[in-house]
Amino acid sequence: MFGKKSTAGVNTKEVKAILDEKKTKMKLSLKACAHCTLCAESCFLFMGRNKDPKYMPSYKFLNSVGVLYKKKGNVDLLDLGEMRDLVWERCVLCTRCYCPVGVDIPEMIALARRVCRSQGVYPQYERD
Amino acid sequence: MVKAERKPIEEIKDAINGYKRVLITGCGGCVSVCLAGGQREVNELKALLNVHLKKDNIPKELDGYTMERQCNDEFLKELDSTIDQYDCVISMACGAGVQNMATKFPQIPVFPALNTVSIGIDKDIGMYEEKCRACGNCVLGYTGGICPVTRCSKGLFNGPCGGTNNECCEISQEVPCAWLEIFHRLKEQDRLDDIKKIHAPMEWQNQAPRTIIQESYEKRYSV
Amino acid sequence: MDFSNTFFWTFAYDFIRGPMVWIAFIVFFGGTIFQIFSLLSLTKEQTISKLTPGPGRFIPKRADNENKKDWVMWLKLSIAGVNPFMTIVSSVFHVLLIIMPIFVLGHNILLDNSFGLSIISLSEGVSDFLTIIVIVCAGIFLYRRLFVDRVKAITTWSDYLFLFLAAAPFVTGFLAYHQVFENYRLIISLHILSGELMLMAVPFTKFVHMIYLVIFRFTIVSEYSLGRGNRTW
Repeated sequence: MFGKKSTAGVNTKEVKAILDEKKTKMKLSLKACAHCTLCAESCFLFMGRNKDPKYMPSYKFLNSVGVLYKKKGNVDLLDLGEMRDLVWERCVLCTRCYCPVGVDIPEMIALARRVCRSQGVYPQYERD
Repeated sequence: MVKAERKPIEEIKDAINGYKRVLITGCGGCVSVCLAGGQREVNELKALLNVHLKKDNIPKELDGYTMERQCNDEFLKELDSTIDQYDCVISMACGAGVQNMATKFPQIPVFPALNTVSIGIDKDIGMYEEKCRACGNCVLGYTGGICPVTRCSKGLFNGPCGGTNNECCEISQEVPCAWLEIFHRLKEQDRLDDIKKIHAPMEWQNQAPRTIIQESYEKRYSV
Repeated sequence: MDFSNTFFWTFAYDFIRGPMVWIAFIVFFGGTIFQIFSLLSLTKEQTISKLTPGPGRFIPKRADNENKKDWVMWLKLSIAGVNPFMTIVSSVFHVLLIIMPIFVLGHNILLDNSFGLSIISLSEGVSDFLTIIVIVCAGIFLYRRLFVDRVKAITTWSDYLFLFLAAAPFVTGFLAYHQVFENYRLIISLHILSGELMLMAVPFTKFVHMIYLVIFRFTIVSEYSLGRGNRTW
């Protein structure tokens, strides 16, 4: 809030350009989310990981795309690193998540992935 | 992605005849996207089998579990601790996933619940069209993006046969002649030279491309 | 209370009862129409693909008896079957939220006095009972927000604020009707004010899910849509 937000390692202009493309739809969706958590059971990862709230579709998009729009694209590599875990490791984009209000969740995750990729943040396929 | 559709329920029911504890495994990959074998379909199959088994008065224990992908051993590890509790597995993954599961757990019978049809595209929700037969030798670069293996009924590689009839294939008026389409496409891009080269043919059966419609959408597409 | 204080309260009371009501309804209707347009402008009509049968074009391999839709199973596998408790509580809460302001006797007396409009009303005992049900449902929602882990994980301050805003007209209405506090005028002003604020908040905050739910379910095509939707994003 006070002082400039660090945006180390990130080209915020690029990020803002990507966010602007879908601004209307994303902002509308973020606003319409009623935080009801009824989307949770539709995610098989949520069901398979002992119902860990961090796997809820709403949690995933609120903490990736939601954060991107809230910070207006002024994120740094650490933020994107956290987002990487959310959108690549906790989501397979199987597109079966369900929202009673009708928010298009897969598109939001796909947008977050696009932003990460544009800044060189990729999923880590090789791990010990 | 790979497109598949579920086998008739009778076939699945007959497969698990004689096994008491059954695990139905879903896959969060391709079959989830084409609405054939994801978590929701696992629950549907479980409920449907229960209805049928109850009607026949056969007691069985059915459980469901969906993992990220069945074509990757990493994700099959999730079943290591619980697989021995079951007598057999119904796998709702594509053919690759079923085989992988059977290889990883050779002590337990694994039955497929889906017929894997093709590699295809999403035409509309619930409707998926075959585009690729995975021949391993893609010639799409020469044919302007139209696959002669999938779209040409005879799988010809070097131009149409003499049977083109009214711009359609000789087997039916509803199947357009693939080579005519290739010709038009390349002409538009000014690349007709590409099909003037001779390419060696490939041996194939079942040439007509197939489209799947998931059961609950048959009405939607006026079948 | 000195003169200026009384004047202020009288002015406030008259304002809330008078022009503010009109402003609230105009903002509500105008905003709703605007939001519906902005949503629909993000979608486009899509003709449903027609499948022409032909050799190799269709794979039907299902026996005839499999084509009948099993409604009981569909219900069990839908969101109502998976979260039955929340579905019931939420449906009851939302239905009463919309129905009660229209059919409660107090409102309809005012309408009759002002415009001669005579709408059928609920008896006061029934309204009382239904108000308590709404307050209980709101209480259940509050409990979820505070104590259920998965809801706590995505709850923000705005969720609490809007829950209070939605419950406030019912709580204040209940208190005012039973004249629990001596200052009836204050409680009824809060009742009117909270109702107005809630109406104005509908198009511009998360309350918009009220409108969007209906539009999404019936027009935009998806796995879970009802009816034959033919719009996509």
